[in-house]
Amino acid sequence: MNKKELLKGNIAIAKAALNCGCKCYFGYPITPQTEIGEFLSKEMQQRKLAYVCAESEVAAINMALGAASTGAKVMTSSSSCAVSLMQEAISYASSDELPIVLINVMRAGPGQGYIYPSQGDYNQATTGGGNGDYRTIVLSPSNVQECVDLTYKAFYLSQKYRNPTILLVDGLLGQMAEPVEINDNPYQEIDNSSWRLDGANERPSRNIHSLEPNQNKLNRHIIELFKKYTIIEQNECDYEEYMTQDAKVILTAFGTMARHAKALCNYYREKGIKMGLFRPKTLYPFPYKKLNELSQKTNLIIDIEMNMGQMLKDVRLAVLSNARVAFIGKPVGDWLTEEEMIKAADNILKEQYASI
Amino acid sequence: MSYIKLNKNKCKSCYLCIDACPKNLIKKSNEIGQTGEYTVEFKDDENLCLGCGVCAVVCPEIAITEVYKDE
Amino acid sequence: MQVFNIPRAIKQNSNFTFCPGCDHGVAIRLVAQIIDELKLQEKTIAVASSGCSVLLYDFLDVDCIESPHGRACAVATGIKRAHRALNNDRFVFTYQGDGDFASIGLAESMHSALRGENITAICINNTNYGMTGGQLGPTTTMGQITTTSPDGRNAHYHGFPIKTAEQIALCEGTSFSARAALYDVKNILSTKNIIKKAFQYQIEGLGFSFVEILSSCPTNWKLSPKDSHLKIQNELTKVYPLGIFKDVKND
Repeated sequence: MNKKELLKGNIAIAKAALNCGCKCYFGYPITPQTEIGEFLSKEMQQRKLAYVCAESEVAAINMALGAASTGAKVMTSSSSCAVSLMQEAISYASSDELPIVLINVMRAGPGQGYIYPSQGDYNQATTGGGNGDYRTIVLSPSNVQECVDLTYKAFYLSQKYRNPTILLVDGLLGQMAEPVEINDNPYQEIDNSSWRLDGANERPSRNIHSLEPNQNKLNRHIIELFKKYTIIEQNECDYEEYMTQDAKVILTAFGTMARHAKALCNYYREKGIKMGLFRPKTLYPFPYKKLNELSQKTNLIIDIEMNMGQMLKDVRLAVLSNARVAFIGKPVGDWLTEEEMIKAADNILKEQYASI
Repeated sequence: MSYIKLNKNKCKSCYLCIDACPKNLIKKSNEIGQTGEYTVEFKDDENLCLGCGVCAVVCPEIAITEVYKDE
Repeated sequence: MQVFNIPRAIKQNSNFTFCPGCDHGVAIRLVAQIIDELKLQEKTIAVASSGCSVLLYDFLDVDCIESPHGRACAVATGIKRAHRALNNDRFVFTYQGDGDFASIGLAESMHSALRGENITAICINNTNYGMTGGQLGPTTTMGQITTTSPDGRNAHYHGFPIKTAEQIALCEGTSFSARAALYDVKNILSTKNIIKKAFQYQIEGLGFSFVEILSSCPTNWKLSPKDSHLKIQNELTKVYPLGIFKDVKND
């Protein structure tokens, strides 16, 4: 077992990327993720890996697109408004089936917003900010250790499914230091010799493109992509349950907000209300099936997010009419405090629990 | 004997080769090509072709696929 | 003795899909001939971009990737750097139009030159956006009529065109920057030598090499292929002079 270190989320992500064989990083500074690029600039230069201080996020993601076509493990990182700039290439990479790992350490929007905390990019990440029919895999860590574990997983899933994969990190997690173990990459290497562009040597030439003037071929291509997405949805849903076994009220939250939600569960359990938490670790694929099962045993779901209710749509789609779905949220700024959450939750719970 | 091979299926009737040939051996043919215009044809009854290949150099379609030069 | 054949680096049974008389076909053939001569087919990755140049991968028998509009030099940077990180020596070039290289992609193009990225960029300059039907582009000349400059390009209204090869020559990371044309046999042959030189500079690791090629667009210029070439010879070369603007070996 490796020694634990005290690391910021951003540094932990950078270390994990290096540790699992990331060969290329392209980036442009933006708070609150800049430490990732700063840390890697030194490490990658020393190891003679590919590192470019790109002229823009547009250039950075397109360098990543080119690098991914060689089969090398590739990462770029950015934040919210600048991830918006990258959406074109994400759409291309989805159609091209290129494995790019994108770290989005979120800040507040819309527009430039500010560096305040927010979880406002759930929609952009999970439903795609680019054009056309496509999906990106989205992983959501809630502590610094998971920043490491899910960075490994992001590289693995992106290679396994040849699909852009986003690690959606709360700004506060990127900036927060916690004890963390940089363990070995637990995932196997994926063979990419059948598609990578490394020169047509003793094999026919290959080309990677999204343009397709033949409508039948384009149709077939997108249908094939969606067959892949179906497999991802069947195999890769990941989540955490906290005291859901006997829960009558289930909270849903992602990322760091889930840690606050756990505190809320403990508070209400002391008051005699059996509360539990369901936290998706994969935002796409969203674990609809599991949440649906849980919702059948309860009659109240409270979704808590640092936005105006983005995951809420997926929660409602999972819960259907099994239970009432309520929402507690705030778009930006200081993370919802325990007092704020309790006040809001009391109002929701009042209708069902006379004791509140 | 110098000569060229011309693939009329590739010809798009731009006629740049007609102007390029120093011996005027390439002319419009009677066949309609892919663009709806007459394609070109190579006629060299008197063995005048120099094998210089300028027709192939100017052709944007590689419709002149081979050029042979008498040594 | 056979003095001309279809280059090996051109895909068998492929036919160009350009308009009649368009110089794209000549430019791609020259690139293929040089790939053959320098024995690069097995180690080349070509980057195509949006516009008429996008279909490059249908014609060239080398590994090829399409980039989003304007980003070809960024994509090529990623490919070149990634292969270097993998300890592979690969030859990487972009094939772009002037709108792609010098308008939407100017930042990516110029920064690749400034970084001295060891790639080659070929820019086909036909003074308009050809694929969308001939609109005013970054290289449209003063007075030139296009579908979006119906009364001709006007400095007060549309601003000025960019002289790409001269601009790229100003970048310190550029090893070679030249402008060539394809309007007659002599120029086609000299363009071939220029592209070959640009390729060789990459092979020698000298930095960013660039060739701008004045190219005809008979369809959108509404001229015959022959008259299009005369226009390049008599008009365009006055605005965009041919020549080598930077050569690290001679400077």
